[in-house]
Amino acid sequence: MNDTLKRLRFLLRQTLLRRRRQSELDEELQFHVEQTIAAHLAAGMTAEEARRLALVEFGGMERTREQCHEQRPGWWMGTVAQDVRYALRGFRRNPVFTIAVIATLALGIGATTAVFSVVDRILFRSLPYAHDDRIVSVGLVHSLETQEFMVGGFFFDWRDNQKPFGAMATQGTMPHACDLVENNPEQLDCLNFDAGFLPLLGISPVLGRNFLPEEDRPNGPRVVLISYGLWQGHYNLDPAIIGRLIDVDGNPARVVGVLPKDFQFPTLQPADVIFPFALDRAAQATANGGFGTPMRVFARLKPGVSITQAKEEMEPLFAHTLDTVVPPVLRKDMHLGIRSLRDRETQDMQLTAWILLGSVLAVLLIACANVASLMMARSEARERELAVRSALGASRARLIRQTLTEATLLSLAGAVVGLALAEGLLRVFLDLAPTGIPFLQRAGLDLRIACFTVFLSLLCGVLFGLLPALQTPRVVALAARAAKSRKRTVLRRVLVVGQIAVSMVLLSGSALLLKSFQNIEEQRLGVQTGGVFTVQIPLPSFRYNTRQKQMDFYLQAEAALRRLPGIRAVAISDSVPPGGWQGDYRYSDLAVSGKPHPAPGTGGQVDTRSVTPDYFKALNIPVVRGRNFREEDRHSGESLVIVSRLLADSMFSGEDPIGKRIQAARDPRWHTVVGVAENVKNGGLVEPDNPEVYFLRSNIADYWGERAPLMIVDSVLPPKATVPWVRSQIAQLDPTVPVTTESLNDQVSKLADRPRFETALLGFFAFCGLLMAVIGLYGVIAFVAAQRTQEIGVRMALGATRMNILRLIAGEGLRLTVIGGIVGLGAALATARLLKSLLYNVGPHDPGTYVAVTLLLALVALAATLIPARAAMKVEPVEALRYE
Amino acid sequence: MPTSTDLLQGTVDVLILQTLAAGPMHGWAVAQRIQQVSKDVLQIGQGSLYPALHRLEYKGWIQSDWGNSENNRRAKFYELTQTGRKQLETELETWTRLSEAIGLVLGRIPEATA
Repeated sequence: MNDTLKRLRFLLRQTLLRRRRQSELDEELQFHVEQTIAAHLAAGMTAEEARRLALVEFGGMERTREQCHEQRPGWWMGTVAQDVRYALRGFRRNPVFTIAVIATLALGIGATTAVFSVVDRILFRSLPYAHDDRIVSVGLVHSLETQEFMVGGFFFDWRDNQKPFGAMATQGTMPHACDLVENNPEQLDCLNFDAGFLPLLGISPVLGRNFLPEEDRPNGPRVVLISYGLWQGHYNLDPAIIGRLIDVDGNPARVVGVLPKDFQFPTLQPADVIFPFALDRAAQATANGGFGTPMRVFARLKPGVSITQAKEEMEPLFAHTLDTVVPPVLRKDMHLGIRSLRDRETQDMQLTAWILLGSVLAVLLIACANVASLMMARSEARERELAVRSALGASRARLIRQTLTEATLLSLAGAVVGLALAEGLLRVFLDLAPTGIPFLQRAGLDLRIACFTVFLSLLCGVLFGLLPALQTPRVVALAARAAKSRKRTVLRRVLVVGQIAVSMVLLSGSALLLKSFQNIEEQRLGVQTGGVFTVQIPLPSFRYNTRQKQMDFYLQAEAALRRLPGIRAVAISDSVPPGGWQGDYRYSDLAVSGKPHPAPGTGGQVDTRSVTPDYFKALNIPVVRGRNFREEDRHSGESLVIVSRLLADSMFSGEDPIGKRIQAARDPRWHTVVGVAENVKNGGLVEPDNPEVYFLRSNIADYWGERAPLMIVDSVLPPKATVPWVRSQIAQLDPTVPVTTESLNDQVSKLADRPRFETALLGFFAFCGLLMAVIGLYGVIAFVAAQRTQEIGVRMALGATRMNILRLIAGEGLRLTVIGGIVGLGAALATARLLKSLLYNVGPHDPGTYVAVTLLLALVALAATLIPARAAMKVEPVEALRYE
Repeated sequence: MPTSTDLLQGTVDVLILQTLAAGPMHGWAVAQRIQQVSKDVLQIGQGSLYPALHRLEYKGWIQSDWGNSENNRRAKFYELTQTGRKQLETELETWTRLSEAIGLVLGRIPEATA
């Protein structure tokens, strides 16, 4: 406090003192002159001579004064304020320039910061675990399960005999629904992991402790860890939760710890209650048909061991497992998978992230080129001003400082607007973004990258703004004629060519994505989506503990919904197209009676669904041969199937499939084919269609399978009107079960979220890039036209027509466009390969797209050229000749 | 480039400090005295003199006060401070060492020191 006061007083005194100091200095210098005069007089000169000589000897009074002033420490701070005032005056005089620079900078800074904030976590930011770069996901992969997994049958073997890892830990494959039965019941996600799981990730509970080894044993005490969200939402952050018994699925369990707030599972799955895995090594040999419990395994590489090395070292164990555990039919398809945790978490988003980052950096590049170009144009226009100031005694350092001040001010203004823009853009991204983008909800503006972009734009502004100030101001600049600097115009032209080339790359990339998105949107799905919605009712398993109870509930619900007005069909299935479905059958898993079995492990995936007869009616899938299932088939106990046309063609190749019998692996029944249904899009929107088998969902609980049933409702009324009725009907059956409904249109639209996101973002960048490139082109042409005003006047005086002038100026612009366009086209064709995996039904070198993009660019560039060229054409020769 | 300016600047500073060691005097007198003592070899223009005086004052090696000159004009007198005196000693030492070294290299006074 005292210190600040002292400081303030000091500053105040300094300001008051400055005046006095100035006059004292004057007096001192004056004294010096007078002394010299006196000395000369004493030497016998005349008064006038003495005075003249003294002044000559003394030299520049002003210079000395300034130099004395500059001896004071921190003297330059005073000039900063002066420079700022001067710069602001300059900006006010030239608002178009100022706004153009700030807008360009803001766009570049804003877009880059927003995109980087999103991709940073996917690509760069370290994951929230200790030694995150050494944690890997280990296991087997095959064509139907591309995420590494293990089973209890060989996990212990691997764990005990492996060499490359410092530790291995497991968690359950999937969270399962479980019920918290308390005064305020809630359905939760439960998951298991072993006692080594948290230590492997370097995570400690925020409250309480991790599982003890003795708790992670078969028949150990029933203890749980709970998530921070559950602790907060259900227990109000009550610290007394530790040691309390909570009722999960009707059994008490003791809470021993709470997970940290920002903890996320490496699989990114949500889980509220975690039980110890408590694997029984002996029992694993017989569990799950001899395979053991499926699990996800994570491991920490020993320091210095790479993933490739780890793979090599694990190969013998893998080979042993392949020979002893994996059935021979599957061996060919099984591979050893070891992936870094980042790859495991971000899946295929990394490519999209890189493409977004690349395109936004391209936008930043164009923005920087624009700023450079604008700064150069301005400093050229000011060359004379600088020359005058220099002649009046401003030092070189002073001029450079002035330019620096201006560039800094512009960059700061651009940064402020840009950061506001980034915040807005980030919100738009979050709204647009598909659910599959990892960590997106945690994305916030990244200050590091904001600083980086501000620094970068500052750099390009300062660098190009300084060019003229660094040169000794030329005497010619003082002459009445405006000096022309050929060299810098060349540099500006190069910049414009670069801008056009880069925006060409952006444009063609976004055009390809747009075409691909259109293909996705317009394709035939093979099912009707309007008016159809699905109803999901996850039944609490402790109350509906037999399949019979579950089936009865669904049959009652089906009957109740059918009574509602406007309902056309109510079907029960286990999934609905076109969403990608991890099918569990291969083509070779299906046997046809009287035919040789196909080679094991061959053929692609086959989708299977267990459906009631109304399924085909609800989704409007035509049965092209044979017949649909009938209501009475559900009670007959017969095993019937309908196959898709794709499957019928490959399996029965020309023969009539009706009446043939097929058998699916792991199911002893033989099913009779009664019909062939038209193909539907069933592997997702962009993946190829799979052959499909529809099993009749008969009213026998044992055949209802593992998958949770899903109801499909087709209504003539809009879903908005029907859904409340559906909810009340189900509430009448059981008021406690949660009901989720979703229209099929929404589901399809969600599948297209990601291509929509990619297309929208890249399209936006391409638009920004093109806009800035066109402004740059316009600027250069306008500048060139203005520079050549006199030349135009001469030409016209010598008989050139206005058309000739138009051609002269426009030709310049067209040349730049053509060069930039060709360079850009080459670069676009070379980089389009990167987009390949994002494109649907359009090649990366689709000629139509490139022609369209080229035309668009040519058209816009022509407009940008013609405006200044027309202005040049209208130059009056007399005025132009008088111009300078 | 910077080193040579520094050398020059430093030299002017030592000359001024040494001159002021004789007692307080104003700027003009400092310049005159240096010229006299150096037998007109060293002439310090006001363009170097006053910035140097101000620099030394900001460094706290000399202090100034207004007084009356010999012809009864108000003038600014400079005198060495305590730190300035110490500084002068170090500077002189450095200078001696430097000039001896240069002399050695140039082979001017080999016997005298050897």
